[in-house]
Amino acid sequence: MSVTPGWYMILAAVLFAIGASGILLRRNALVMFMSIELMLNAVNLTFVAAGRQLGTLEGQVSVVFVMVVAAAEVVVGLAIIVAVFRKRATASVDELSELRG
Amino acid sequence: MGDWLSEVANWWFAAVALAMGYAAYRVVTSANVVHAVLALVATLGGSAVLFLLLGAEFVVWTVVLVYIGAVIVLFLFGIMITRAPLGYEAELDHPPKTKALAAIVAGAMFLLIGWTLVDAFGTEEVTASVTTVGDIGLQLFGRFVLPFEVVSLVLLAALIGGIVLARQDPVDIEDQR
Amino acid sequence: MSALFDYHALAPELILAFTVMAVLAVDLMPVPKYYAAVTGLVGLFASIIPLLTLALCSELSFCSDNGARLLFGDSYVVDTFSLVLKGLFLVSAFISLLLAVGYVESDRYYQGEYYFLLLASVFGAVVMASSRDLISIFVGLELVSGPAFLLAGWRKGDARSNEAALKFFIVGVLSAAILLFGMSLIYGVTGELTFSGIRAATVGGELPAVFTLGVLFVLMGFAFKVSAVPFHFWTPDTYEGAPTPVTAYLSVGSKAAGFVGLLVICYSAFANMRDIWGPALWIIAVASMTLGNLIAVRQTNVIRLLGYSSIAQGGFMLAPFAVASMVEGVELEGALFATVTYLLFYAFMNLGAFGVVMAGMSKVKSAELSSWSGMAQYAPGLSMLVVIFFFALAGVPPLAGWFAKLVMFQAIISGAPNVWAVLLGVIAAVNAVVAFFYYAKVVKTVWMDSVPVEIPAAELGGSGLNPALALALGITAIATIVTGLFPGVLSFFGEATRTFASGF
Repeated sequence: MSVTPGWYMILAAVLFAIGASGILLRRNALVMFMSIELMLNAVNLTFVAAGRQLGTLEGQVSVVFVMVVAAAEVVVGLAIIVAVFRKRATASVDELSELRG
Repeated sequence: MGDWLSEVANWWFAAVALAMGYAAYRVVTSANVVHAVLALVATLGGSAVLFLLLGAEFVVWTVVLVYIGAVIVLFLFGIMITRAPLGYEAELDHPPKTKALAAIVAGAMFLLIGWTLVDAFGTEEVTASVTTVGDIGLQLFGRFVLPFEVVSLVLLAALIGGIVLARQDPVDIEDQR
Repeated sequence: MSALFDYHALAPELILAFTVMAVLAVDLMPVPKYYAAVTGLVGLFASIIPLLTLALCSELSFCSDNGARLLFGDSYVVDTFSLVLKGLFLVSAFISLLLAVGYVESDRYYQGEYYFLLLASVFGAVVMASSRDLISIFVGLELVSGPAFLLAGWRKGDARSNEAALKFFIVGVLSAAILLFGMSLIYGVTGELTFSGIRAATVGGELPAVFTLGVLFVLMGFAFKVSAVPFHFWTPDTYEGAPTPVTAYLSVGSKAAGFVGLLVICYSAFANMRDIWGPALWIIAVASMTLGNLIAVRQTNVIRLLGYSSIAQGGFMLAPFAVASMVEGVELEGALFATVTYLLFYAFMNLGAFGVVMAGMSKVKSAELSSWSGMAQYAPGLSMLVVIFFFALAGVPPLAGWFAKLVMFQAIISGAPNVWAVLLGVIAAVNAVVAFFYYAKVVKTVWMDSVPVEIPAAELGGSGLNPALALALGITAIATIVTGLFPGVLSFFGEATRTFASGF
């Protein structure tokens, strides 16, 4: 008996849950963003494991799209963080209190 | 269980999975931002090994090149530009109540997803061959050609918009003088 | 198929993609910057033409009509449903662009890049309308939101705009991750990415619990995009902090894109899963309309008021979804028709309302309601527009909003014997009344209250309207009045989409 795709998906669930807790736990925009990358990594693992289980290629093709979009989002996110920093010299979400919310 | 231990690939999986779990935990708990990034590298590297075990070679190298190569470097640049404190960061230390809440949410989410996954995928064995880059290329430029083109526009928009937002305007520099 | 692709079916997308690039090229040339906006407007207009030829295909000699056109292995479908929604996106983009021209010209903005990003975002929405597989719709959605994140932070020097962008971004990416995880679970269970494949794989048969989880994750991802309660917390802050024309686009274009994703995925991919998404969306719809309205009543800032009002209006649009699990056949089509029609009417009213806010802000330099009081005394024309758009949003006949509310209630009542449908109808009715109060409060402040003393009289009445803004206000005002008197003009398009709920 060997490791089945189900095991990989369990690991993906672990990563997804840890990433989600990171969003709740951390207040630094960069670290929150890293937590989201963890969640996306979990998505990739699920896609590939599912593709393996099903014997189709679509899982791997999906991962390519997820990764490209994630890379684009990193560019967008860092540009926004840099713009925020230039104005206020902080990357902490809590210190942003200009807007009531 | 004895069968399980006899296969080398299983050992690989167990070792990598444990390491990834710990690294992911460090990403969200480390008080030092740079340590968090390094832990993220470890997690992504672990996932690259797992993709190799799953026979997805193309994905392995994309993860290594795009994620570990480019995305992580961007994160490090982000840390440098925003001059995030490198040592211990008090602002990252939450009261125990928040930590407990986060732990409970994460635990509950894992149990829910994990249980349903085991329920659905159980222990079916599969044997699949290694897929080649050629197979994926045929898919990408066949059925998936439209999202492929659209994603190029996503990248272009992110690039142009990112430059506009992140660059320092000449007028801003004058303001500072 | 003789050609490699069906170029006629893809013509709107191709023209729009060309326009996006042309805007960048014009921006580089040594011509006035507003030429880029004109290029964008012409391109949007040009890409509406193939929509018409596709819709009227059976009437035209050069066009071979084979019904819906399936492209790329059923993952991209051009049917009447997608044509109507593409039309909505293009027209609302046209108005959003008109709203933006004067605004970005008046200050230090990167104009060409602004128009480029706006059009890129619209392109994503247009792709979404035709996407019939998980990957295409995800990529389209990211193209809608990526540029929107950047545009929200376009006023770089303004800390509030930065904050708006950061909040919007974190929430947007988080929702994308949740959406993707749901998609990966669905793919894992069914082995299909196309909606038709998922639909076929879920006919009858017992599905594992993880599929339900996947459906709920996907719904959650879209609920963020349409800013439905409890995933709404970013909306008021982002709306207030972002440049106002961007807010107008977010509340109509980007929101409509989220709704289209929800419509397509629910009514085609998860058509056999109505028992799952119906009740889930019932809760979200009720929470959105109730919370959105109750908080809107307390707002003193017109933009935040419109932000909460758009959450509540989103609740009204979600209400017919909730009924879909209780009805069949014609009434199921009615539920889809109600959401689409509401979306069509809402687009004009809300874009107009934001146009009025922009015009008002150019007069009194503030979006606080208190500084708007007595505006009727020095700007009667603008105050008349306030009446038109805010009463239309409230649903006062004969302005456009009443018909949207009518079809929504019709859809809810069609599930009537069911207790939950009745309860939903009662809650929606109470909410419609509550909503009237705060819309009326704005109108009352503008018409009945006296001009605040601290505003120097010389500043009032000041500059005339920017011509582009005036044109946008004119189009939306005429649309709001005409479609209120003759709702058939717009509901005709809603009718055309009906078959999507039962078709295939």
